[in-house]
Amino acid sequence: MTLWVKKTQQALCWLGCLVMASAWGAPHHSSGTQTPTVAHHKPGLEVPLAPGYGPLGFELPAVGSYARPVIGRASDGLVIDSRGQQTTLKTLMAGKVTLLSFMYASCSDVNGCPLASYVLNRVMQRLAKDPRLNNRVQLLSLSFDRLNDTPEMLRKYAARFEAEQAQNWRFLTTPSDVELEKILKNYNQFVIQDVDNNGKPVGSLSHLLRVYLIDEQQNLREVYSVSFLHPDILVQDMLTILSDVKSP
Amino acid sequence: MKKWLGMILTVLLPQFAMADETCMSPYMAKIVGQEDFVYIWTLGVEGLGDEQDKLVTVSVNPNAEQYGEVVNSLSVGGRNEAHHSGLTDDRRYLWASGLASSKIFIFDVHTNPAKPSLHRTIDSFVGQSGGVVGPHTSYALPGRILITGLSNEADHGGVTGLVEYTNAGDYITTHWMPKDGELNGAVKSGQFADGYGYDVRALPRRNVLLTSSFTGLNNYMMNLGEMMGSPEAMSNFGNTVVVWDLHTRKPKKILDVPGAPLEIRCAWGSNNNYCFTTTALTSEIWLIYEQDNDWHAKKVADIADASKVPLPVDISISADDGSLWVNTWNDGMTRLFDISDPFAPILKSETSIGEQVNMVSQSWDGKRLYYTSSLLANWDKKVSTGKDLQYFKIYDYQDDKLVHKLTIDFIAEGLGYPHQMRFGAYSLYGMTAPPRPGKFAGLD
Repeated sequence: MTLWVKKTQQALCWLGCLVMASAWGAPHHSSGTQTPTVAHHKPGLEVPLAPGYGPLGFELPAVGSYARPVIGRASDGLVIDSRGQQTTLKTLMAGKVTLLSFMYASCSDVNGCPLASYVLNRVMQRLAKDPRLNNRVQLLSLSFDRLNDTPEMLRKYAARFEAEQAQNWRFLTTPSDVELEKILKNYNQFVIQDVDNNGKPVGSLSHLLRVYLIDEQQNLREVYSVSFLHPDILVQDMLTILSDVKSP
Repeated sequence: MKKWLGMILTVLLPQFAMADETCMSPYMAKIVGQEDFVYIWTLGVEGLGDEQDKLVTVSVNPNAEQYGEVVNSLSVGGRNEAHHSGLTDDRRYLWASGLASSKIFIFDVHTNPAKPSLHRTIDSFVGQSGGVVGPHTSYALPGRILITGLSNEADHGGVTGLVEYTNAGDYITTHWMPKDGELNGAVKSGQFADGYGYDVRALPRRNVLLTSSFTGLNNYMMNLGEMMGSPEAMSNFGNTVVVWDLHTRKPKKILDVPGAPLEIRCAWGSNNNYCFTTTALTSEIWLIYEQDNDWHAKKVADIADASKVPLPVDISISADDGSLWVNTWNDGMTRLFDISDPFAPILKSETSIGEQVNMVSQSWDGKRLYYTSSLLANWDKKVSTGKDLQYFKIYDYQDDKLVHKLTIDFIAEGLGYPHQMRFGAYSLYGMTAPPRPGKFAGLD
């Protein structure tokens, strides 16, 4: 297990204690986001951790006992993987259930991109142990910081989440701003560059954290946000749509 | 310090859910600083202005040059019984619906927050949903909108459903409310399983969705006096709150809450597994709460004198779960309850807002409150005794008192009858407010 994942897990207990000690009634104020999504935390702030870091607080329904209706089509786009190979989302998604996450490697918000990658790491571990999923599911993490997240940087990022050698988790960037903007727009993923009082970029990006569940026919089946991005839910939903011969 | 310190992401955690700014979906970003605009979905009235339903935008940032003014009015081409509205999870679009026409108008509020534009109109809601009529609450889920119905196409009664759309406005699916004979797996815990609908709220960390129940089109489009004089009409009101499995959208339990429970507001605290609602006909505050891994309903307070039919309407919970504003439409009063003990609310204050009052929206810090007056076209009072029959009002909450700041008379302005309010802010979209012209530039 990599240092980052270990540290994250160790931090959970510490932060969890803070959370338990606090009233949880006051809002968490962003210390530097201009958008609603990812809060960039100042050291020392009490940070309530997203549910995805802990055990699920409720019992999930049985696999196949509920529906994940089709809510749209997964869009295509040109991408570059962490080996520098150009391909398309459509090619990667063909014939597999996909979890698609948008991220950037330098994101420091514990409840932002690191949450998504932490949860995907947990899912990856489940895939390895579950023959129902192992060869039928893949994870895609697509960066929206194409200038900094080069293939080399993506390999380093993958290593932080024990995914450098993973067969079913790919880290992607895009070949151009035009391609990136097209993909982001098609997935309704809006990214804003954080700026200071003088309008100068401060290096962080704000976005609404979303992870997309896409079936083997490239239909969108679910959109996960921070409040219910949890490995147990993701695995249950993937098993459910795999058990669903025909889409509802 | 960065420029946007006022914004937070409450989609982060469900324990920070709801109220207005404190009443929004827990999946949605919140404005915790100063809001720039209030978007008011306004009922068109015959003989008043252009007579059309419209989205009215009021500048509410005290630092803005046009503070307190209507900065935009966008009419939608007819009257639809404009009622409720809701923002998508990314706050880029405002969905506003008509109870009579069942049309849904999707406004773009992000391209220019000061001047929303009509992005799309859904005029096939009834057909797409399989017969749901009267779209009411538009509630943000990730990437989609959940709409509660009030009625149905078959008999225009109160049996109805929940309808899901994508944020883009494409229909996904319909979930009919559980009722006698079609419980759909729900447990009927009391006398009632009426299948009625009204409001909806989610508690993601408990995997719970709650819905309340009002009445069907036959009633909400009827003259109020006529309806109240009809025992048959008065028997057609909802008496239930339904507990749903949020993830599967399957009903789990039907709770008796007699007297038409309307707005639902859930607590924010991580261990506060409860929500409030008020009953329109019996004038009571009810607590919907989790105990022993099950959900229950309990009356916890009276609101004014029920025999005088005060008619509780909108409510708003504070971000600290400490207080609840309760409006009563008929007497035009807003009441503040201390809900520190949710099982024993205590009345703290009563304030007259106008000749009638319906909606209340408060800023995240609870320091600013906004009120509007209209309930339904055929229920609203028609003869004014003053100048505050149909209005938008701004108050500050200071030293435990409401301090009136500003009124816009919607009749005098020829706008219509104002209903639901939603907040907007430039900073949500990485924008800054236009610079205010300097008073000391030397030219004035």
